[in-house]
Amino acid sequence: MTKMGIVAGETYERQVKSWSFLILVLSPFFFILLSFGVGYLSANAGQAKNTIAVVANDSNLRREFIQSNTLQTTNKHATLAAAKQALQQKKIQGYLVLKTANNQIQVTYHGTKQLESSAKQALQQFVIQKQQLLNQQAANLTSRQVQQLNQLPQIQEKVEKEESTTNLAKLVSFWALLFLMYFILVTYTSTTAQEIASEKGTKIMEIIFSSTTARKYFYGKMLGVFGVIVTQIAIYLVGGFALYELAPHLAMTKTLFQQYRDLIDQVLKNFFSVNLLYVLLGVVIFTILAALSGALVTRPEDATKAAQPALYLVMLGFFGALTLNQQAGLLVVKILSYVPFLSSFFMPLRVIDGSVSGLAVLASLIILVLSIAGLTYYVGGIYSGLMLQTDNVGFWKSFKRGIKIR
Amino acid sequence: MLEVTNLGKSFGSAQALKQVSFKAQDGQILGLIGQNGAGKSTTFHSILNFIQFSGTISWNGQALTEKDYNIIGYLPEERSLMPKLTVQQQIRYLARLKGEQTADIDRQIPKWLERFAVKGDKKDKIKSLSKGNQQKIQLICTLLHQPKLIILDEPFSGLDPVNADLLKQAILEAKQAGATIIFSDHDMSNVEDLCDQILMLKQGKVVLTGDLQAVREQFGRNRLFVKTDWSTERLAALPHVIQVSLTRAGTYRLTLDAESAGPEIFAALTQGHYIQTFDQQPPTLDEIFRMKAGANDD
Repeated sequence: MTKMGIVAGETYERQVKSWSFLILVLSPFFFILLSFGVGYLSANAGQAKNTIAVVANDSNLRREFIQSNTLQTTNKHATLAAAKQALQQKKIQGYLVLKTANNQIQVTYHGTKQLESSAKQALQQFVIQKQQLLNQQAANLTSRQVQQLNQLPQIQEKVEKEESTTNLAKLVSFWALLFLMYFILVTYTSTTAQEIASEKGTKIMEIIFSSTTARKYFYGKMLGVFGVIVTQIAIYLVGGFALYELAPHLAMTKTLFQQYRDLIDQVLKNFFSVNLLYVLLGVVIFTILAALSGALVTRPEDATKAAQPALYLVMLGFFGALTLNQQAGLLVVKILSYVPFLSSFFMPLRVIDGSVSGLAVLASLIILVLSIAGLTYYVGGIYSGLMLQTDNVGFWKSFKRGIKIR
Repeated sequence: MLEVTNLGKSFGSAQALKQVSFKAQDGQILGLIGQNGAGKSTTFHSILNFIQFSGTISWNGQALTEKDYNIIGYLPEERSLMPKLTVQQQIRYLARLKGEQTADIDRQIPKWLERFAVKGDKKDKIKSLSKGNQQKIQLICTLLHQPKLIILDEPFSGLDPVNADLLKQAILEAKQAGATIIFSDHDMSNVEDLCDQILMLKQGKVVLTGDLQAVREQFGRNRLFVKTDWSTERLAALPHVIQVSLTRAGTYRLTLDAESAGPEIFAALTQGHYIQTFDQQPPTLDEIFRMKAGANDD
């Protein structure tokens, strides 16, 4: 194995085997499962208490009412005494008494709290239908008369469903992408800057630079970190795919997934596009910057400060994109979508909005890739000087001295 | 053989090294001495290509390049290891960077740990070891790949006499194996114990160089150790005697103004008297160092 490979392997292994990496990778899955689990359990726990028992002198009416799902009913507590007891024991929210006498249906609700207006409306609708049926039977109407009486006005609602879902999908995609990128960027810039600063602080670099060139060491280091980032994103992809496949079959996610299937599909489509590449390249360029700022720190105790310059730039991109997320057409957004470091925040915004051409995306990507290559080459060249400069003179002077050493 | 010719290095307006030239032969130990800031570490950093310099540095007639990194064993002045790694992981990582194979490294680790009497296991974290044992691990990392060129920047600092002897033994074994060794130290007794050649730097310039014994002889045998019943005053009154002092062992130490005064003093002391000791010596390296460094430089 080449020395660059040894450094890359050691960097990768050390980071991937750390507890912090495990927590970092598993935490999103943990929170997703936790939120679904808690929601499901609380819904189930509340469900029993929110049900309504039905008591009726006509068993057919009772069965029909329960089967109609008009209200959240339970088949238990069929007698008045049983229903009263269940209410007292707070096992149910209330009970309905359905009575049919002299071709008239009477409904009485007994409960600890009022029925919601939508529930009242549904109940009313069911009872009116049943009462109409009784009335028709009592009036001995012909089928034609019945048909005419049942004639209803036509009310139509035409909503551009696709359009509204697309807009929501854009918003959700952008927010999800932005927060994912912010989360990963903050983690990797901090980790990389602190690791480089600690290495410099322990002065082990002199031993390492007597074994391989500083440039190769730096490339190996960045390659190792890149491997860690790719691993994390790959785990997210595999985990995300597994959740996507499992969600329609799990009791706790089934309803939600069916309800928002279109939205989820569109969000995923926005994710698995060039935007993912922007996330990856964004993390890479910020990691290199973090390595540079880590190399400018001289004392191990200052390692936590090392990430600050890179973090400020991350925050600038994050809050800038957050502020301008509804204004993809602004000139400033267009310009920033070509500026390395910031393009990772602003170009996905334009891509999700659908207001940018493929050529513009390609141009922005080329600028970003060339910037990564240029920055890596430049930092690789001055890395030895930066790491061997150990006078505590502050960031800027340290940078100038580091350049002069070589 | 390492050959350094007209080595020069400036940091801004400050000239750290000026026309430094020397040779370090295979199977020999060169001691690099000088006060703090004299340019010793800068010389090492130049050899290791950490910094740009003027002049030439060659190994067996060829410029030292990246391909020679595997033959170099370097122990820097400041001790440094990766505290979170285990002893085995640390040695493996640094030895692999020197081109060693993992299986070979693993085979050698127990031998080296025993040789340097490291108190701890190969599975122990570096941070759990004592400072002295951490230093031994670093020495193992420097020597495990059997380097041909060994550069040791103050290797004895922080070592107790027993461990210093272990290191001396390892250095002498490397010398026997034909390695070229350069080391710096502020303790001149270590330099005298080990070195074949010395090179003294002062403010970036070579002020003394050559075979250790020859260098000492250059300064003349003007130190005289005498064990006699004469009094200090009587000894001080002898011709050519500049200074007289009594050592803890009860021996007088006379400083002469000329080496040639020895026979005359011997004749005077032995006229009708028995003397237990009469030993005329050149100055020690420590005395030469102080002379050369100059009292004002401290």
